[in-house]
Amino acid sequence: MKVSNRKCIRRLAFRKMKASRSANIIAVLAIALTAVLFTALFTIVMSAAYGYEQTNFRKVGGYAHGGFKYLTEEQFDELKDDPLIKEYSERIFVGMPFDAPFDKLHTEISYCDENAAEWMYLTPEEGHLPAENTNEAATDTRILSLLGVTPGIGAEFTVTFDVDGTETTETFTLCGWWESDEASPAHHLLIPKSRAEEIFSKLGTQGLDGMTGTYNMDVMLKSSAHITEDMMQIPENHGYQSESRSEGDNFIPIGVNWGYIEANLAESMDAENILAFAAIILLIIFTGYLIIYNVFRISVSNDIRHYGLLKTIGTTGRQIRRMIFIQAMSLSAAGIPIGLILGYGIGAVLTPVVLSELNGIQQDALSVSPVIFIGAALFSLVTVMISCLRPGMIAARVSPIEALRYTESVPSKKVRRKKKTASIPRMAAANLGRSKSKTVTTIASLSLAVILLNLSFAFANGFDINEYVSSNAVTDFVVSDSGYFRSESTEHITADTVDMINAQGGISEGGATYAKVSAACEYVPEDYFRKTVGMMNDTETVDFLTERSRNENGLIESTVQLYGMDDFCLDELFVSEGDIERLKSGDNCIAAVYDTDDNGSPDPESSWAKLGDVITVRYVDEMEYYDPLTGKIYDDPEKISDNEPYSTRPLKYRDVEYEVAAIVSVPNSLSYRYKIVPGDEFVLGSDVFRRDSGTDSILYYAFNMEDDASIDSMEQFLADYTENIEPSAAYESRQTYAEEFSSFTRMITVCGVSLSVIVGIVGILNFSNAILTGIFARRRELAMLQSIGMTGHQLKEMLITEGLYYTAGSMSAAAVLTALLIRIISSADSGVLSMFHFRLSPIPFLITVPMFILLGTLLPVLTYKVCSKQTVVERLSIEN
Amino acid sequence: MTILKTEDLKKYYVSGDNTVKALDGVSLSVEDGEFVAVVGTSGSGKSTLLHMLGGLDRPTEGRVFVADKDIFSLKDEELTIFRRRKIGFVFQSFNLVPTLSVYENVTLPIELDGNSIDEKHIDSIIETLGLSERVNNLPSQLSGGQQQRAAIARALASKPAIILADEPTGNLDSRTSQDVLGLLKVTCRKYSQTMVMITHNEEIAQTADRMIRIEDGRIVSEH
Repeated sequence: MKVSNRKCIRRLAFRKMKASRSANIIAVLAIALTAVLFTALFTIVMSAAYGYEQTNFRKVGGYAHGGFKYLTEEQFDELKDDPLIKEYSERIFVGMPFDAPFDKLHTEISYCDENAAEWMYLTPEEGHLPAENTNEAATDTRILSLLGVTPGIGAEFTVTFDVDGTETTETFTLCGWWESDEASPAHHLLIPKSRAEEIFSKLGTQGLDGMTGTYNMDVMLKSSAHITEDMMQIPENHGYQSESRSEGDNFIPIGVNWGYIEANLAESMDAENILAFAAIILLIIFTGYLIIYNVFRISVSNDIRHYGLLKTIGTTGRQIRRMIFIQAMSLSAAGIPIGLILGYGIGAVLTPVVLSELNGIQQDALSVSPVIFIGAALFSLVTVMISCLRPGMIAARVSPIEALRYTESVPSKKVRRKKKTASIPRMAAANLGRSKSKTVTTIASLSLAVILLNLSFAFANGFDINEYVSSNAVTDFVVSDSGYFRSESTEHITADTVDMINAQGGISEGGATYAKVSAACEYVPEDYFRKTVGMMNDTETVDFLTERSRNENGLIESTVQLYGMDDFCLDELFVSEGDIERLKSGDNCIAAVYDTDDNGSPDPESSWAKLGDVITVRYVDEMEYYDPLTGKIYDDPEKISDNEPYSTRPLKYRDVEYEVAAIVSVPNSLSYRYKIVPGDEFVLGSDVFRRDSGTDSILYYAFNMEDDASIDSMEQFLADYTENIEPSAAYESRQTYAEEFSSFTRMITVCGVSLSVIVGIVGILNFSNAILTGIFARRRELAMLQSIGMTGHQLKEMLITEGLYYTAGSMSAAAVLTALLIRIISSADSGVLSMFHFRLSPIPFLITVPMFILLGTLLPVLTYKVCSKQTVVERLSIEN
Repeated sequence: MTILKTEDLKKYYVSGDNTVKALDGVSLSVEDGEFVAVVGTSGSGKSTLLHMLGGLDRPTEGRVFVADKDIFSLKDEELTIFRRRKIGFVFQSFNLVPTLSVYENVTLPIELDGNSIDEKHIDSIIETLGLSERVNNLPSQLSGGQQQRAAIARALASKPAIILADEPTGNLDSRTSQDVLGLLKVTCRKYSQTMVMITHNEEIAQTADRMIRIEDGRIVSEH
């Protein structure tokens, strides 16, 4: 039988809500605060993801979904209107300057339309893009400084550059510029299309390099869901293919922005981060549950006679549950929007604090993704629904008869000692025992904030700055290329820089480390190779990578990363076996580098070389590029298209044998700071390294100072030097780590305290509700106590005792649980946590104890004051 | 000896233009050891009278003397203390504290006063009221009659000057009512307690030493 009663149920639900205003306010606040926590968390996480994506786009050099390369004008016109494309851009490559000062800066001269410029971050911050039929040009501040041009509209400058093999010198008028971005792979000089065509016709450019004069079309697709598929589909739609140049002359090379493919922060998050994220979500759900559940449960048990009455007149349990559900949803409709707005504000404030601790993320990122709001709203709703499940069930299950006799007290089965008389503390304790669930929930909610506060203080304090600095910085200073510190570049510093530093004086000891990457190799057993590569790749990739050159013994070619260390740096290595001194002798001795675990002991799996082994390093002077599938050798590696498979093998090389004289590990601050796979690391003495490799590029220069005064002056010098004289250089000092440390502990404190404050407000709200409703529901009983002779003073004493029992319970629960948690976390002796020495700080207790005592005293008194406005007789006649 | 006396007691409730005269000049006196029944229809003012007698509410005019003390000359807190020493209340809805056992409920007024408990007296009351087996039970574990007997024990515990009972059998079925009333009377006699009881049950009122009838806030008959 189906009856239309929704309207009636809704009316009943709303009437009931109207009747309990203060409970509603508390419920709305509780829901709002839950939403605040979710929104703030999501804002931070989404902003981190957004910042990560933005950083990747900058590294790629643009945020277009993908691009079609080397198009003719006809092909360009054909493709641009494809239905899969939402927007397209036009770019024509003109040439590149190679002579000094551009020998170290990848610079491209090209025509870009507005879209191309915008998508590649080339929109002028001052001025405008070059106008057609003028000699205007726009570029970045780095190129301008190389040219010696002070940024200013109308400044004239001359650049000599190579166009398809022909050199030309052109004069431009500066019409706009933008700030150079160190993360970007290339620097650009933009000219109008008319000027490009003029240059081509002047030089008779034919585009022999397959690049100059062709059209590049970057596109934004209608959907970013399947970029690779769409990018391949578009040429096919017009009778082209993007598979391989060798499959016909209808080949159009495509490029897909890997920023979109790999920018997924979720994928790059490690297990620890995901666990932390999940833990915070659970914590918020729990916080929300404690209060929302409590508010609903209290309201249901206070209204139990009302629900009993509804049952008596034929309302079903389902309908009663529905009423509670409607109430919960209406309160959510009021609370969640408030929470979203507040939470986003708090999130926006906290985001920069958190992002400053994350590497490789754009610092000023703030996401406005709708995911934040939709996600936070959904999670809040789920929390509300979970929280009102049980109260709904209690209301639905009530039997009409029981409801009339319902008191909160549960008859205790144990027989009490006879003739024990009542005292105020015992009465107060008995009152808390009436609804154990309410008492436990309230205490849990209150103590949660104290626990969080304790933990954040313990975290912030438990980290020893000296230990942190000394475990990270082994020398006073390390100077290198800025990319080195970002773990992303193998650019090196020059001997000039080292000389400049030495000239400052005050250096007590120092040394350089020379480096050579990838153009040296070793030969290793296949199973070792597969194991190393297999840690980062799937089986298919491992199989593919294993298809590479082998030596006469069947061993497989693997890259080595070599360090050539001066004595000073050698002395800073952790030697676990062997004698490092032998590396200083000039003999053919080498040290094998092993990874260390968190406790600093070497991981025996991380290298195959044992002490006393003789290993052969093959220094490669020339590589050969070949197709691993067909064996075909490519003559010109520049001509290998993006989609053709290729592999390399040494063509001209020298083999040098070394004896493994030591097993070492390299402190992070003196290491390459990135790892290539496959790529075992070995250390040589600097002289041997330079002799055998024939290279002498400096990876970094590390040194100690004589005293604190010289440290300060060096810090000043380096700050100025890296800022103004050599911007590509950068440095790290003990001070850098000390600052990193304090900003890290600051983040922990700020986020921890913010979280604790909000959770604390939730707890206090919960407590207020418990006290308020507790006293209100007992108005009649309290009046009765007065009628039989309990004075107002005694009554207040009893109520205050109840309040203080709550706070005392919360404090003890917090103390016990904090101690327990700290013990558990301390025993988890892994990762960053091994750096912490937990110390229980008394500060959180000193802050919260007086606050809680005040609350436990004031709230009952104030509530009672409100209640006692009604006379004893009036209260005695309350029907409930 | 007069233990309770009222002088021209008036209680007016003003709401807007309406003045409700709940009590309109009631003067009465009750002798030591007397059992007085107050009867009247609902809304006659009998409950208001009882509240005035017990000092639960202050009158608009007039005075109440309990054991020669003008109770409304006392401040609120003093009045409460006076009440727990000199007056025992028995309500229609038993009004026991649900979290306390029978024994704790009974001794609560004495505890509140900070006095030591006259255990012999309490035991004797409990026994007289037939609650010996129930002293350790919570009110929710008792029947209605037992609860009311516990409430009577509580009223008697502090040896008050006077017991005020407001329809003590109103929530009980007629058989239980008889039992409770019987016990109430027997107990009062036994301890020579003065009692003023409100009831609208004429039958019960007939058994009192004196019956006062109230209508519209005035005493209309007394015999």
